[in-house]
Amino acid sequence: MANLLYCEFLKLKRSKMFLISFFGALVAPIFMLANHIGAHFRRPDVIFNMASFYDDTLMFTLLLIGPIVYVVVVAYLFSREYTENTLKTILTIPIKKTTFIISKFAMLFVWLIFLSLISWVGTSIFSVIFHAVFGLSEIGAAVAFDYLVRFMLGGMFMFFVVTPFAFLAVWTKGFVVPLIAAAVVMTGNMMLMNTNFNAIYPWTIPAHFVLSNEILHPPVYPYPIMIGSIAIVSALGFISSVVLFHSEDVN
Amino acid sequence: MNDYVIETIGLTKQFGGQFGVSNLGLHVPREKIYGLLGRNGAGKTTTMRMLLNLVRPTSGTILLFGDDYRKQQDKIYRKIGSIIETSGFYGNLTGYENLKILAQLRGQHRKDSINHALEVVGLHSETKKIFSKYSLGMKQRLGIAAAIMHEPELLILDEPINGLDPIGIHEIRKFLLSLCRERGTTIFISSHVLSEIELLVDVIGVMHEGQLVEEVDMTQLRKRSRQYVEYAVSAVNTAALLLERQFNISDYTVCDDSIIRVYDCIDKRGDINKCFVSHDLTVTTVHVSEEKLEDYFSGLIGGGGIG
Repeated sequence: MANLLYCEFLKLKRSKMFLISFFGALVAPIFMLANHIGAHFRRPDVIFNMASFYDDTLMFTLLLIGPIVYVVVVAYLFSREYTENTLKTILTIPIKKTTFIISKFAMLFVWLIFLSLISWVGTSIFSVIFHAVFGLSEIGAAVAFDYLVRFMLGGMFMFFVVTPFAFLAVWTKGFVVPLIAAAVVMTGNMMLMNTNFNAIYPWTIPAHFVLSNEILHPPVYPYPIMIGSIAIVSALGFISSVVLFHSEDVN
Repeated sequence: MNDYVIETIGLTKQFGGQFGVSNLGLHVPREKIYGLLGRNGAGKTTTMRMLLNLVRPTSGTILLFGDDYRKQQDKIYRKIGSIIETSGFYGNLTGYENLKILAQLRGQHRKDSINHALEVVGLHSETKKIFSKYSLGMKQRLGIAAAIMHEPELLILDEPINGLDPIGIHEIRKFLLSLCRERGTTIFISSHVLSEIELLVDVIGVMHEGQLVEEVDMTQLRKRSRQYVEYAVSAVNTAALLLERQFNISDYTVCDDSIIRVYDCIDKRGDINKCFVSHDLTVTTVHVSEEKLEDYFSGLIGGGGIG
């Protein structure tokens, strides 16, 4: 498994997708910065705090940008062996199909955590710049560290809720269907984030756990139901991907 | 005990209601080169995919090195190198980097195995070129390098010379022959280039519509190949009549409106020619020839040439 994971890293050399996802992870911090600059000029008397910077980035990441950027990563990881025709080369080594697809999930987890880290670093840098130019309140290492944990948690939650897209990538062997589904999910996020359903719609639930203020409509369902909803979607995505990949012939 | 590196018993693969491969019984002897011939869609690639455990058979048995292929897969498949149709590698990596991934996953056989394999196929100087910039021939060479890198005991090669130039084909053929003769590697190869197969293989299997219609040793096949005299004449019916009446020859075939092949009385071709001319037939060509693999193949599967 460690060997497979190491090889997944080797495969990323000169990969444009790595750079694309890197800049994708910075889109939310840039949106957040633009949002705050706009708000500052509308209301120069209001002093923002550092937490609001992190919260805005997290909200953009989890509800709007994430479903697209993270699903692009999922689709790339899980469909590239089909598009580059490499499965027949790798599996005949031999590599067990189950081990191979689990290593893909492991790589996905590492990649999404890395992207969360990039978003956190970007937000931290932008907040320092904003503080230097316009001024911010409650800025400090303790806030930054608190949100580092929240960003990592957000990345972890996103890993769990994007597994169904892995199934779509394995099933359709390409990018298109997972991306269409991601757009649907993102639209769902926008429609449901301020309704009671945001506590059972799996893709809005992570925001409840990592956002500090009440950006979302407060959850009306208990936490076990919210966790259960994520667990069901995640398990379905994971199990169906493994079963499909294992049972399909390699053509 | 039979010493077959590959043996299949009743191997069958159905796609929906259709048979891709039906009741296949292959016998690939150790340290020999076995050529699998067949038209497009005959089932060659499906067979190879089943042997490599990429496609699940609907029924039947596959024995590799005498053992069921599902047992000790790790041990069995490490002794096999393969190319299935076009080579599949990561486009953003160089040839060396692609092979490094395979070596890493397999557990490197020798320290210099990657460089050695690249040298064998003539790609050792292309150190900076990434795979997506390779020509078709270079891609195929890298596929061969990947297949031989770990010095396998069995090579399964599906159309390995696709895309290679004539010099490349000659080099690879020489290399495969030396692998088999000097190192004792068993090679199971399919190709559409009949002339190449003819020069390479020890045993030949012919597939047609998913079935193995013949499995024969090349030595036997060569013995079976017969000489004939081909006449191009103005009227084949008259020529056939003259052959039967004047020379008592019945072993001939009429190929088309003007060509007749005579398998008997080769040494009497001068007399036959004189006879044709004296009976007002215009003879434009007379030449002695030998049945080639292509003729044998066409006869076997009942068609003109292979796809």
